[in-house]
Amino acid sequence: MIVGEQKPIEEIKKMVAPYKKLLILGCGTCVKTCFAGGEDETAALASALRMAFRTEGVSIEIDEQTVERQCENEFIQEAAKKIGENDAVLSLACGAGVQAMARRFPKEPVYPGLNTTFIGVQESHGVFTEECSGCGNCELGNFGGICPVTRCSKKLLNGPCGGSQKGICEVDANTECAWQLIIDRLKTLGQLNNLRTYIPPKNWKTSNSGGPRKLVREDHII
Amino acid sequence: MIVMNPMEKFKAKITLFHCINAFTEHVSLSTDDREVKIVKMPCSGMTTEVFMLKAFEAGADAVAILVCPEGACRYMEGNMRARKRVEKTSNVLDKIGVGGKRLSIHNLAAKNSDSVPGLLDEIMSTIKELGKNPAAAA
Repeated sequence: MIVGEQKPIEEIKKMVAPYKKLLILGCGTCVKTCFAGGEDETAALASALRMAFRTEGVSIEIDEQTVERQCENEFIQEAAKKIGENDAVLSLACGAGVQAMARRFPKEPVYPGLNTTFIGVQESHGVFTEECSGCGNCELGNFGGICPVTRCSKKLLNGPCGGSQKGICEVDANTECAWQLIIDRLKTLGQLNNLRTYIPPKNWKTSNSGGPRKLVREDHII
Repeated sequence: MIVMNPMEKFKAKITLFHCINAFTEHVSLSTDDREVKIVKMPCSGMTTEVFMLKAFEAGADAVAILVCPEGACRYMEGNMRARKRVEKTSNVLDKIGVGGKRLSIHNLAAKNSDSVPGLLDEIMSTIKELGKNPAAAA
């Protein structure tokens, strides 16, 4: 999922202060799972913002709605009525959702209420870890399903580096050594021989370093 | 900025969320100087941020959560979750100018409902110190 966290309320207040009628629009998929932009968080932020402005004697109407996904037109459409009734939208979606909204409603100001952090998983309740960099050329098959591009601090494809201490990364004591994890996993799978294969330097052209990417599925285009 | 006068006389509004296992409503908690609204929860862990904020938005001058003693939650960790949520919501209340001190959480010894009026007296002292909720809807 895409993981995000809510921006500080002071920053949000500053962004929306010029408007008299604001819609806070939640997103019910990824950012709901990471407790940042689902229905509950949308209602809580709306309530907090209403009170924040009220304590300052500022009059602002704040409405709220949550759609299933802001990155798809079909779901965004459900919010069209409320968007039309308000002066601006504070989107609690990831950066993709905010931009999909801006594209779908070109005349409506749309502001981000979240900072999009990474593609990750929920490791345990309330703990999210980055697992994928979206590099565009997945080689997880070589590494037992553990990504050194994302999870090794040095992004080594032919690790380990030698700085690992008892399975912990030398760069950050709170990070497990990805290469220790890879070796342990390959041992379990009986695939330790994978490590005998030299992995050539990665071609980053397929990543964001090669510029904005686009995926075209001809089989779905009429 | 609206400046509230803490000395202004008013009937305080207190919203009390409680775990059904922590407290039994056997006496009226409202008095001449306070109106107590009681919200039963199946477990205090269900008292999420939005409930607490909405209570303040609806006009509560203080909100209190009554939870089971540490280690005695029927659902293992509901009271611990409630405490974490109170900490977070309290920070939000400070940031928006309502005042985090208005929100409190109390572990009640096994269904010791008799201690609740005393707790409410303590909460009343906080309200007297802070005055009316500046964010209450007009």
